[in-house]
Amino acid sequence: MTTQNMKFESAITWGFVLCLAAGASAQTPAPEAGYPSTGPISGYMELHFNDVEASDPVVDFHRFVLIFSHSFSPRIRFLGELEVEHAVVEGLEEKGELELEQAYLDFLVTRAFNIRAGMLLMPVGLINERHEPPVFQGVERPFVDTFIIPTTWFEAGAGVHGEVGRGFRYRAYLTAPLNAFEFSADEGIRNGRQQGSEARVRNPAVTGRAEFVGVTGLTLGASAWTGTSGTQAPPLDVKVSVAEADARYHRARLELRGEFAQVFIGNAANLNRAIGLQTGVSPNVAEALRGFYGEASYRVWASGPARDAVAFVRYENFDTQFRMPAGFVPLKQFDRDACVVGATYYPDPDVAVKIDYVWQRNQSAVVRAPNSLNIGLGWWF
Amino acid sequence: MRRPAVIRIGICLASIAILTGAGHTQTQPRRVITVVAERFAFTPSEVSIDAGEVIDLQLKSDDTAHGFRIAGVTNVAVPKRGHPALVITIGPLAAGRYPFECSRVCGAGHNFMRGALVVRDKKGETGR
Repeated sequence: MTTQNMKFESAITWGFVLCLAAGASAQTPAPEAGYPSTGPISGYMELHFNDVEASDPVVDFHRFVLIFSHSFSPRIRFLGELEVEHAVVEGLEEKGELELEQAYLDFLVTRAFNIRAGMLLMPVGLINERHEPPVFQGVERPFVDTFIIPTTWFEAGAGVHGEVGRGFRYRAYLTAPLNAFEFSADEGIRNGRQQGSEARVRNPAVTGRAEFVGVTGLTLGASAWTGTSGTQAPPLDVKVSVAEADARYHRARLELRGEFAQVFIGNAANLNRAIGLQTGVSPNVAEALRGFYGEASYRVWASGPARDAVAFVRYENFDTQFRMPAGFVPLKQFDRDACVVGATYYPDPDVAVKIDYVWQRNQSAVVRAPNSLNIGLGWWF
Repeated sequence: MRRPAVIRIGICLASIAILTGAGHTQTQPRRVITVVAERFAFTPSEVSIDAGEVIDLQLKSDDTAHGFRIAGVTNVAVPKRGHPALVITIGPLAAGRYPFECSRVCGAGHNFMRGALVVRDKKGETGR
């Protein structure tokens, strides 16, 4: 039996297992219509099967997330989100990660003005604050929300949020900046997240988002993040800014969404030289990263209460070497685009069985971007 | 079979009496206002009614189960997408602003799900 055949059988087997699981849940008598029970703990989970070209297929319990909440009073509230990634946590994060993604206090003053402090999700993009598996299409999060906007992006900080009326709302936070010495050519600013762990805050970052949700089904958003990410030793200030705009609209069975994000990294040439001196290898960090995507999904089938299926297609373009500092040549394998086609079956609005295929390509004549088949099971409770 | 003329006239008179009587005793039909809940917003997030008015509030979800709470007024579960909408009666209330919020943890942005029921008096003021 060839390797391809074995991989195909493996994919079929895992798909069958997930469908069986979903089918079993669909047979379960519905609880009292629409009134599921929930305790003080909520959460979500994602189990993935990824078959990437030229690699062995893997099964990964990608995310196990528990959300805790508590009200000290009607005006003072706690919410925390604790996540285990990739099931096993070992020293030096060789396998998984245990992350405190959110842990904040909300001081609710008025509808227009509230104060939040603690571990905060950066209010940037469509996915970072709204990432429960049933609410986005595709097994994995969009590439733009991985390589350009480093979801899940969280930092310690404090700020304000509220709704000023007619569906306009905002949040603005002061947080720890990124650590520019961890930036890279392929993953951009992703590894620079300090994640509230003894984060250096010589220069705090500012982030904010304005959002319009005043029309049923429509969300328009624009986000910004800016901070000086650098160190005293060696002395280097790297100003990083992220600009983002997004839209999401659904009407009847159709949903459309799109996102554009660009990252600006100042002093990138000196940053590359400084990291090169430390490690012996220049990371080839760009001075601009850019990505965008558009997605259309359609609810193709609905059967009885709360069960339905969605088909979707998404085109993404993302380049972590979009503009290079003088003297540095872009690595073309990181100028990528992808077409993702797939489907999601919902045996319940909170349970999603997903399958998709990703065609990826890049601008390199040497390094080929791998395609992949992905199957996932995600749920919220 | 033809009904006798007396019976037909009687039916007509009775119908007229019922219809005109209903006009005197039937209350104004309640307004129905629909609020859609979806991670992480209510749409509309501001609902205006008159002081003393009674409305039917139709609560629907576009995704998971949410809660709908107005402190001291109501606290109900909003059914998941695909289930019938929940209709609750609100009012009569005194003029004022009554904040509402999601009372069931629905995700990372749960605490953003807030809105206001604005109850205006005859002068259009909320009184607070």
